[in-house]
Amino acid sequence: MSLPFEPAEWRKIGTDRRRTGTWMQLTATLFDELQAIEKIAPRAASASRRRAETIRDVLARHLSFKRIAVYLDDAQRGELVLAAATNKSGMPEALERLCVVREPESVLEQCDPPAAHVVPLASSKEVLGALILGGGGQEVLDESGRSSLRALGAYLSALLAASRLASEVRDGDFQMRLQMWELESLYDIGLSIASMLDMGQLGDEILVRTMSLVNARRAALYLRQGQRFGLHQALGGARAQFLDDELSADSVRAILEAGEPVAFEKGADCIFPGCETLVAMPIRSSSGEVIGVLAAADREFRDGSVGPFEEGELRLLNRFANQVSIALQNARLHRDALDKQAIERDLELAGSIQSNILPRGLPDTDGYEIAVLHNPARQLGGDYHTFFERDGIISACVADVSGKSVPAAILVSALHAALQLLFHERRPLGEIAEELNRHIHRWSSESKFITFILATIDRRAGEIRYVNAGHNPAFIVLGGKVETLHSHGLPIGILGASRYEAQTRPFPAGSLLALYSDGITEANNVEEEEFGPARLTDILTTNETRSCAEIRDTIRDAVHEFAGEAPQYDDQTVVLVRTSA
Amino acid sequence: MTDDLKVTVQRKGDAAVLYTRGYINNLGGEEIASRAYELMDDGIRVLILNLQETKIVNSIGISILIEVIEKMTEKEGRIAFCCLTPVIQKTFQIMGLAQYAKIFPDEASASQELGLPAAS
Repeated sequence: MSLPFEPAEWRKIGTDRRRTGTWMQLTATLFDELQAIEKIAPRAASASRRRAETIRDVLARHLSFKRIAVYLDDAQRGELVLAAATNKSGMPEALERLCVVREPESVLEQCDPPAAHVVPLASSKEVLGALILGGGGQEVLDESGRSSLRALGAYLSALLAASRLASEVRDGDFQMRLQMWELESLYDIGLSIASMLDMGQLGDEILVRTMSLVNARRAALYLRQGQRFGLHQALGGARAQFLDDELSADSVRAILEAGEPVAFEKGADCIFPGCETLVAMPIRSSSGEVIGVLAAADREFRDGSVGPFEEGELRLLNRFANQVSIALQNARLHRDALDKQAIERDLELAGSIQSNILPRGLPDTDGYEIAVLHNPARQLGGDYHTFFERDGIISACVADVSGKSVPAAILVSALHAALQLLFHERRPLGEIAEELNRHIHRWSSESKFITFILATIDRRAGEIRYVNAGHNPAFIVLGGKVETLHSHGLPIGILGASRYEAQTRPFPAGSLLALYSDGITEANNVEEEEFGPARLTDILTTNETRSCAEIRDTIRDAVHEFAGEAPQYDDQTVVLVRTSA
Repeated sequence: MTDDLKVTVQRKGDAAVLYTRGYINNLGGEEIASRAYELMDDGIRVLILNLQETKIVNSIGISILIEVIEKMTEKEGRIAFCCLTPVIQKTFQIMGLAQYAKIFPDEASASQELGLPAAS
């Protein structure tokens, strides 16, 4: 019996060496050892080489061939590659796949010196590799030897096919899990970032998820600033302005106009210095407006190289950008709400300060009855009133600052401070008005002014002195008759050189003075009719005999009833002063 | 964050803990694999990967970690992960890593389970 196998152990068996049972036992040992290739981790980068080395080593231990070369299929190269050999010298580095099956003689001739045997390793569908054997006195085999080689080839082919199948199953499983992970990630990301309201934290999470999802090495988030995109956050270093040069103007236009992703295979450097590939994905609001750009760079591959992003990744990134859009809008709305809350807190504080400017109580001076209505339209009002009491004489002031809210409140504060100083300097009313005018004109903006009336009522002298700087006419009511104290100067703050001269009128005991702001007489109803001065004087004369507080309440109720459902646009102030003997 | 991943190693008898800091992508994964294979060649058969300082992992990094697990399994050793962010933990579960390597919330519990000496 002529065998191609000359196992090392064979020689030790001595007289039993040619017994069929012994040969079968040794062959089974060889086959058992070859099964080690099944245990090699299929995903490892070196798996193919290690399989070949295992085959080489097992064959070298059990066969008498001196030259053993193992070729395995390289899918990327599309040929069989020399993966292991007892001696690579003279062996071709690669073989054509079909050549080992169809033209074995030509394969053998490629070896130097020519080898004796080529054993194709193939399944019914594909060539998986080949063995080239030679030397060791086994150049010529009989039919039995050739059969043994075919059996060895079939066995190895089965092992390699099984390994390949296991690898494909694992790859398939990995891909399926990867797709599941992508879907889960998109879902998770939606939940996670939609609830993130801090823009910094949100930006970080978006970038981390982006890189993870599309295997990018770098990522950046740009937010739109007019016709440009400003860098909000980046991982891996990005330029501050997105595509901020003439060369990339077309790309920016494409993103803004079409909302299409822009993939760069060249010129990616425009966002990430030194990067090789880039995709810029527009982030569109629910109304379709491009509000930002999500950029990812340098898509990684398993072999360590970087390359362009693929169709599936662009689709994934596009879906992710939709969720980023929702999250960004949520965060912005939240930030706006916080800003609004801060403003409201400021307004509340300013309103509190302003309410402290207004008198907390009314002067309790013999011979004077006083009532006040102060009904601001907003937290911060433009109406102002105050009283001074000196030597048993009451002075009352009502002013109305142009504008609303914070600017008006600031001017009210300035008026209050200046008026307090000037009045306590015991200056005449006209001079007080002129000083106020110069002060306000100098320090306030051009469009700001104050209508102002300041009246001093001396009940013992039975007279009233007043300055009316552009304010609504005041009324003196006595015995059903109404005297009007018209304005006799420009409002405070309009013209720095304005002059004001105090006016004097009789004010006998029992006279009722009514100062008010235009929020009373210009209060509108739903038909946009004004309350008007006539209704006010009618109330004053009709209710003249009632207490000031009762008259004030009557005015308040009448205005309220007149306005009905119409909103109050302006502050409403009424100051009533009546003297007694 | 996207600087190269840093790996530090603490050996504990026949076991070791790998501490990673940074992005487990292709580069980061290869760095982990390289250090893990060195340890395996050195006879280490119990390995804990502490990912406390890692916030991102991509699919290529995951495939390399699977290779590391397979190699350790081939050598009949054990690998465990600890200190994962919730996102990475979920990723590992979906990608199947959790089938072959246990995941622990902290290094102490991983050490205890794998029989490592207590942390110094």
